[in-house]
Amino acid sequence: MTAREWIKIALLLTPGIGLILFFVGSVIYVAIAQSFGLYNLAGESKLSLEFWELLSGKRVFARSIGYSFFIGVTSALLSVALAYPLALWLRKPFRGSLLIGALLKAPLLVHGLVAAFLFVNIIAYHGVVNQFLQAIGVFDGPRRLQNDDKGISVLILQVWKNMPFALLLLTGAVQSISDDVLNAGRDLGAGSFARFRRIIAPLSVSAMQAALVIVFIGALADFSFQTIVGPTNKQSLAQYMTFFSSKGRWNEAAVVGVTMMGLSLVGALGLTLAAKLVFGGRK
Amino acid sequence: MHTSTLNRILLVCLVAVCAIWLIIPFTMAILWSLVDPSEPWTPDKLFPPAMSLYRWQNMWENSSLKSALFNSYTLAPLAAILTLTLAIPTSFALGRLKFPGREFFKMVAILPLVVPGFVLSIFFSSLLFQLGLTGSRFAAILLAHSVLFMPYAIRIMTVSFEQVRDDHVNAARDLGASALERWSVAYLPALKPGILATLLIVFIQSIEEFAIGFIIGIPDFVTIPTLLYSQMGQDFVRPNAAVLALILVVPNVILLLILERLLKSANPAMSSGKG
Repeated sequence: MTAREWIKIALLLTPGIGLILFFVGSVIYVAIAQSFGLYNLAGESKLSLEFWELLSGKRVFARSIGYSFFIGVTSALLSVALAYPLALWLRKPFRGSLLIGALLKAPLLVHGLVAAFLFVNIIAYHGVVNQFLQAIGVFDGPRRLQNDDKGISVLILQVWKNMPFALLLLTGAVQSISDDVLNAGRDLGAGSFARFRRIIAPLSVSAMQAALVIVFIGALADFSFQTIVGPTNKQSLAQYMTFFSSKGRWNEAAVVGVTMMGLSLVGALGLTLAAKLVFGGRK
Repeated sequence: MHTSTLNRILLVCLVAVCAIWLIIPFTMAILWSLVDPSEPWTPDKLFPPAMSLYRWQNMWENSSLKSALFNSYTLAPLAAILTLTLAIPTSFALGRLKFPGREFFKMVAILPLVVPGFVLSIFFSSLLFQLGLTGSRFAAILLAHSVLFMPYAIRIMTVSFEQVRDDHVNAARDLGASALERWSVAYLPALKPGILATLLIVFIQSIEEFAIGFIIGIPDFVTIPTLLYSQMGQDFVRPNAAVLALILVVPNVILLLILERLLKSANPAMSSGKG
């Protein structure tokens, strides 16, 4: 390629990828620099590990890491585990399959905050869940179900919102598996689980990895579900980071932000590798 | 058990589950938005004792709803146009030109999707403070939305450019069409569904975006999601939140249904009228 052609390509890439590289790259740089005491908005900038040391001594930070990681991994695994059987069921069209597909995809159309509101309505002190459980005699009186300590409400919302997305990715992948391959497996005596384990999962492992990673990163960095329905005795990393930034404590916010980026990377790689190791990848 | 019988049983189960997950929550949201303040809806009553449009009127007249609607619905189309405009040259390079590192640049384009949204929002606002660009929150959010949703635009437009047929472009050239004419007769018809899909998807994403609006916009610049969030937090009034939730969800459902139709019709051969 000539220099002239390279210049043309560079000019074409600048408004899109150049802008992304500049802003996202700057954001990552600013976060890392601020976590080490540099690039301060106020006061002196000095390279130091002070803020990392400060936060690593805090139990609330360690708890946030554990909690966000738990929410991220569990949401990703549950969403994919629920989406797989549905994707397999919908692999071949049948009467009503379009309706089912539309119903299952419906949460994609609903904003996360709206989903949180609808869920709060259902589990509220006098929501239908409480009323139903009282009617069948499980509860004596209405109980507070919102902001449960284990983060179950957050998980339900994450799965509600993310499962359709995982389903979308997995449906495409399992639909591309030919009947011949599955029939061959059946003829060789493979049962349903063996066919899934040895044929379907390896052939759709890329979609599975993509779904796991995207759901994991979104759930790990959750703020709105956590603040609306999450436990009040635990903070997600995004919530903790926002707490610091709202107080102008940018260096501590940066430590949390960099930790979150690191966890995203580690978790995404871990899930990708785990899927590959468990199910293998075959073309 | 016969497969069709099993499918029927599963279908009934799923419709029942969806009723719990979709119909009941939305019905409750609609009912809550209609609760008249003269008589509260207490747990012992299955339906609100008095219903009116008071909450809708009240939210319209006495909250930031008007400015939130104005901000969101001004921001979203501008973000869509700006993102599309910025994405077109890059997508042309990625979709039509062969050069070393093309796949790498395609990966770079999805960077905003893999960095956690709240990290991007908070340190983007920190960057704006550093650069002294906090004068216009509207412009800052517009820029942030364009960067954040660029991956969708680049991805859709790259695929659209890849699908432009060379024989159409060559035929136009052979018939003496200028660069502009080639663009309008060979490229544009094939790109049209992609352009519309990009505009719609960025529009919807921008309307729904919460993190940047929340971090950069507060307290002066309100969008529909940030207003809904505030109504669900310390100012939680269930009927008001119901009104906002419905305002946020209904237009999006309609737009997303249009988007699905557009994506289904995104066949360049058909849209160019030539098979």
